[in-house]
Formats: sequence, C-alpha cells, structure tokens
Amino acid sequence: MTDADAFEAFVRRYQDMVFATAVRLLGRQADAEDVAQTVFLRAFERFDTLGQSPAVAGWLKTVTTNACLNHLSRYRARWRFFSELDRADRSDSEPRFEASLASTSSPARDLEQADERRQLEQALRRLPDHQRVPLVLFHFDNISYQAIADLLGVSLGKVKTDIHRGREALRQYLTINHAP
Amino acid sequence: MHPDDLDRLVDRELRQLPTPRAPQTLLPRVLAAVEHLTRRPWYARAWFTWPLGWQVMSLIALATIVVGGAALVPAARVAASDATSTLVSRVIGEVATTVHRLDATMSVGRVLWRALLEPLAAYALALVVLMGLACAVFGTALNRVAFGRT
Repeated sequence: MTDADAFEAFVRRYQDMVFATAVRLLGRQADAEDVAQTVFLRAFERFDTLGQSPAVAGWLKTVTTNACLNHLSRYRARWRFFSELDRADRSDSEPRFEASLASTSSPARDLEQADERRQLEQALRRLPDHQRVPLVLFHFDNISYQAIADLLGVSLGKVKTDIHRGREALRQYLTINHAP
Repeated sequence: MHPDDLDRLVDRELRQLPTPRAPQTLLPRVLAAVEHLTRRPWYARAWFTWPLGWQVMSLIALATIVVGGAALVPAARVAASDATSTLVSRVIGEVATTVHRLDATMSVGRVLWRALLEPLAAYALALVVLMGLACAVFGTALNRVAFGRT
C-alpha cells in the first residue's frame, strides 16, 4: 500500500469522528468541513509518526477541538450577527405535531425515534456557541466543568450556567419520550 | 425537573445520538488539498517536514546569524555612534551656512528696496489708482454711448 493509499484509508477511517466533533462544536456543516480538512492536513504532515500510533484518535480529537475553538474565537464577531438572524428565522419553538401522534407499531416507533434524534441533533446545533460548546465538551468528550472553564478561559460559574441553560433549551426535545 | 435529573436525561439522550456522518465531499476535498500540498516545494512546507539535512543546515544558518550578530554588536555600536556624530556635525554646519546666506540675501534686498523702489512706490501707486479710475470712466461712458444703458 502506497503512502497515498494509506492516508486515504486513514481519512476514511477517522473522517466521521473528526467531522462529528467539529460539526457539534461549530454547529455549521460548512465550517466543520473546513476544520476537518485542516485537521487532516496537519495529520498528513505528521503521518509518518502518527499513522501507526495507537493514540491517533485522541490526537485527532484534541486537534479538532482546539481547531474548532480557534475557529469560533476568530470568526465569532464576524458571524454572530448573521448566525443570530439565522437562528431567529429557524425558531425551535415550532410545535411538534408528529410527536404528538401516538404510535403503536415498532417500525413506526423506530421512525419516530430517529426523527426525534434528528431534531435533537439539529436543536443542539442551533444552540448559541456559548451554550453548545461547553455542553458538547461535557457530554460527548467527558471534560469536567473546571477543565472546560480553563479551556474556554471563562469562570466555572459561567460554564455551569451555560450548560444548564443549554440543557433547558434541549429539554423540550426530550420530554416527548419522558413525559409522565 | 431537578437539575441532576435533567443532567442525566440530557446525557443519556445525547449519547444515544448517532455519530454525524462526514459528507461524501470531505474525502475528495482532503485528498485534493493533500495533493496540492505535496506539489509545493519542500521549503514552502512546514519546517518539521523538511528533509533532515536541510533542517540541520537551517539550524546552523540560524545559529550563525545569531552568534555573528551578537559578535558584531559592539563594532556596530561604535560605527553607528561615529556615523551619528559625523552626521549631526554636518547637519549643524549646513544649517549655519544656510542661515548666513539667508541673512545676506535679506540685507541686499533691503538695500535695493530703499535705494531704488521706495522712492518710486508712491508714484507707482498713484499711477495704478489713476489707471483704475480711467478704466471705470471709460467703461461707464461705453455703456451709456454704445449700449444705451443707464
């Protein structure tokens, strides 16, 4: 296998993980693709030592997270106005008519659950950056509150508040399944 | 709902989310970027990807520049000091010469004014006033006679 083939296999293997990390942190697919490309280019430059390393997944995750945080801090001011307009247009307070329908058959229930998860994923991406980023770092990357505060350069209290508000915002997408 | 319950519920639900799949465009895009990267000459890439020999050479060159610069600092300081003092003295001399020439020129101008122009100035002024008046009179007469305006 040539180096090019090996690197292509490497990208195929890890592209979902890198993209998922990026898109959940950034909330925008186009930005996530940009960051994923940057991360894989860095990996290519170190591919001789990185390709066979058992820690490659952790390395990719860390580099992706840092690249996303850099991207957010760099483009925050430029995109805040447009992204907030966009979010205002896509208000997530729409009534969920499908979810109110009772379903009895298992395939229908599976479809419904898949739809609910898709909506939860979308709701997660629509959260404001300051809520989504710590929420993703806490729940998907298992990073502690204090470590998140250090990583983002904010106070511990702000991290807790933002995560709590993010959870509250997602709550409406959870209550359908878990309402008493 | 208690915050701890909400924490557990959100945690469970988020972990059940399927991993978002990378778009099919990502792989070709990355490979194209890699190909573009590999087409660049070695010196245009990141330093740690340079051939080992060139890395060593660049380190030696950098060390030479730093050490040579440090060795040349005292000599450069003396040369700079000499150049500065020479330049300052030259500038001061130029300024003094210019001031002297300016003063001489102004003296000549004053003498010429008093000897030649000052006695004639009153006559010249009177002549200008008279010519202005003559022009005004001629213009008024022309208006009345030729164009019939009042």
